[in-house]
Amino acid sequence: MGFLHNTFAVLEREVQRLRRQPIYGVLMLALPLTSFIFFAILFHKGVARDIPIAVLDEDHSTLSRKVAQMIEDTPTARVAYGIQSMTEGERLMREGRISAIVQIPAFFEKNILSNTQTHMEAYVSGTNITVNGLLSKDIQTAVTMFGAGIQIQLLTKQGLTERQAMAQLQPVRFDKHVLFNPYINYGYYLSPSFMPMMMLIFIVMVTVFSIGTELKNGTAREWLRTADDSVGAALLGKLLPATAAMFLLSLVMLTIIFKVVGVPLNGSLALILAGTLLFIVSYQSISVLIVSLMANLRLSLSIGGGYSVLAFTFSGLTFPIMAMYPAMRAVSKIFPFTYYTDLFVDQMLRGAPAVCSLPDLGGMALFIVLPLLCLPRLRHICTEEKFWGRS
Amino acid sequence: MNRFLRQIESYWQQLRSVMGNEYRTIFSDGGVMLILIFALLIYATAYSLAYAPQVLRNVPIGVIDQSQTSTSRSLVESFNAGPNTYVAYNPTDMEEAKNLFFDRKIYGVVYIPSDYEEKLLGGQQAVVAIYCDASYFLMYRQVFQEVVTSIGKTGAMVEFQRLIAKGANIPQAQAVTQPVIYQAHNIFNPYLGYGTFVMPAIIMVIIQQTMLIGIGMIGGTWREHGLYHKLCPPGRRRMSTLPIVLGRGLVYLSIYAVTCFYVLALHYRLFHYPMNGATGTILLFLAIYMAACIALSIAVSTLFRYRENSLLLLLWTSIPLLMLSGVSYPREGMPDWLYNFGQIFPSSHGVNAFIRIQTMGASLSEVFDEIKALVILGVIYSGLACIGIHLVLKQEQADRCGQDAE
Repeated sequence: MGFLHNTFAVLEREVQRLRRQPIYGVLMLALPLTSFIFFAILFHKGVARDIPIAVLDEDHSTLSRKVAQMIEDTPTARVAYGIQSMTEGERLMREGRISAIVQIPAFFEKNILSNTQTHMEAYVSGTNITVNGLLSKDIQTAVTMFGAGIQIQLLTKQGLTERQAMAQLQPVRFDKHVLFNPYINYGYYLSPSFMPMMMLIFIVMVTVFSIGTELKNGTAREWLRTADDSVGAALLGKLLPATAAMFLLSLVMLTIIFKVVGVPLNGSLALILAGTLLFIVSYQSISVLIVSLMANLRLSLSIGGGYSVLAFTFSGLTFPIMAMYPAMRAVSKIFPFTYYTDLFVDQMLRGAPAVCSLPDLGGMALFIVLPLLCLPRLRHICTEEKFWGRS
Repeated sequence: MNRFLRQIESYWQQLRSVMGNEYRTIFSDGGVMLILIFALLIYATAYSLAYAPQVLRNVPIGVIDQSQTSTSRSLVESFNAGPNTYVAYNPTDMEEAKNLFFDRKIYGVVYIPSDYEEKLLGGQQAVVAIYCDASYFLMYRQVFQEVVTSIGKTGAMVEFQRLIAKGANIPQAQAVTQPVIYQAHNIFNPYLGYGTFVMPAIIMVIIQQTMLIGIGMIGGTWREHGLYHKLCPPGRRRMSTLPIVLGRGLVYLSIYAVTCFYVLALHYRLFHYPMNGATGTILLFLAIYMAACIALSIAVSTLFRYRENSLLLLLWTSIPLLMLSGVSYPREGMPDWLYNFGQIFPSSHGVNAFIRIQTMGASLSEVFDEIKALVILGVIYSGLACIGIHLVLKQEQADRCGQDAE
């Protein structure tokens, strides 16, 4: 009973503090919302279209123009320059004006018409592998289709029907099924990863700030006294208002993800909500650990900030964890964000059974042990004046 | 003339005082040192280590082989032969494959129907079904590419053999099977290494962000404790704005010259990132880029009233700014107005110019547009920095006069 009473007393004090200082409103509402809107707008198109490339046509024939046109007609590539030499193409690439050069050699048409094998080259810049992936795929498809057209003509000339010709030129056909995220939309997997990334930065900042500022301003003892010297109640009362505010904010975030960006929800919303709550609490827990150990507002903010920004790289969303060195794979486990992104891939995109997401929920829940371990240390720094006033 | 010399003399005196004071401030403040000096080194190392293997290989896939013939097995072997995938499981049906997939044991499924060999030998078209997962893009790309290439090669082989069997000679059969040999070359990053792609951009953004936050922290501290007047050398009543901005800028430039030297000379070699830029080009570019970043940072730093504000308010912008440079996410995929808005930040120009200089070996004239933009931004932000410092000094003086009067 006493514990609840003390918690409530601190909670009341904390709500007063949150209302009095405008910085909390900025960190828990204004900036996170701005960042959500930013990413919603950024990924609104979802796919990149019309990336400029150059064509070096050394044949100047009907067929060479046809293959160039087929490349132009793909969604990703746009033939922005017709160039006269490779040197010119290289210069355009170094100037950042094009991302690929397609070279059609001399005698291209002549070789094809005389039934001799010919060739074609593409030089795709590897400095942006996202753009490279899109362009490589589309140029390859265009050239393959062009080749198939020629094959059909050759074969029908030999007296085959079109159907027979198709079976002849492509003895093995593949049926492609893209599971989950069938539109191969960047927005669908980048929005639900960047928005929680922004949230976690603000969770860490707010939590570290709200505790650290008690030390900086020397109000830590008063904070503890409000909880009748129960450090557990003091901490709980302090964290709860931010947990609630951040959870409400995450509901806004999920609404934007599902309704505005249009990410499908193939799994369980209940699991996503439970995971989101654990995600918030786990990052609050880590923040408590950092500020208790550092006992210094600015240093805790620097370390907490540094730690939170690293989460994205180690989540494996862009560069998969599977490909990392074993030591780095181990490091990826110390970020709750890693578990959270697994959870949303399973429950938003894949619609995996609930069992698959339980380990992720468990992983995040483990972080909640951290603040319990540092309660004695927190009591110590809140009562010793030598930890105060340092910024 | 005499007056002009006196003015120069006075500026020089002030400049020295400002620089000495700035070095003392930075090196006596652990928090500032952590951000201005160590953050660049720590982040460059942490990210590079995470991306160190550079490429994703051997993604596990599952193959459901209903045909169980030598023909189908040779197709399965071709999936193993490529570098990007290996057949980790042979589930018997789709249900089993699905479970393996949800357990993250496999990232793609190939289904070979029971009539596969029959159709191929009978001169008909066999159909193979591919199921791949687009929830992780790199996995999707590797699996799809490998499987499709293998199927294409197998098909071409079959077609070639059929033509030969019909009595065609080899060149004829080749010309029918593959009239156009297509070869794609990935230049500047031949193995499409992830670190090589993203690290130059990250390093440029880190330089700008650590300056913004670190210098903002110094500015916030000075305003919180009213320390700006300390810049004034003893025996002088007023401070000129120009020596303050110039002096502080030179100090930050000298610090980043050291850390960037480490990153570009040592770190780059350690992780084998491409170093195709001419030294002179890189030095000139970096000097201009840093000048623009420092000017922006000093201008912004005059807005912070408290020590911790720069970190609280600016940390989150790192990822959006990286996105706005159009590297991680292609600029053709974002609204034009948003991309244009990003041009007000030095990082957007810096990232693009740096990648082209250092990875592609571009010359100064080839990055002239970016350099020009950085110079313009540098001039504008320097102006704003001078105005900001001037206003802060005036306000602080007014506050102190007010206190003296009381």
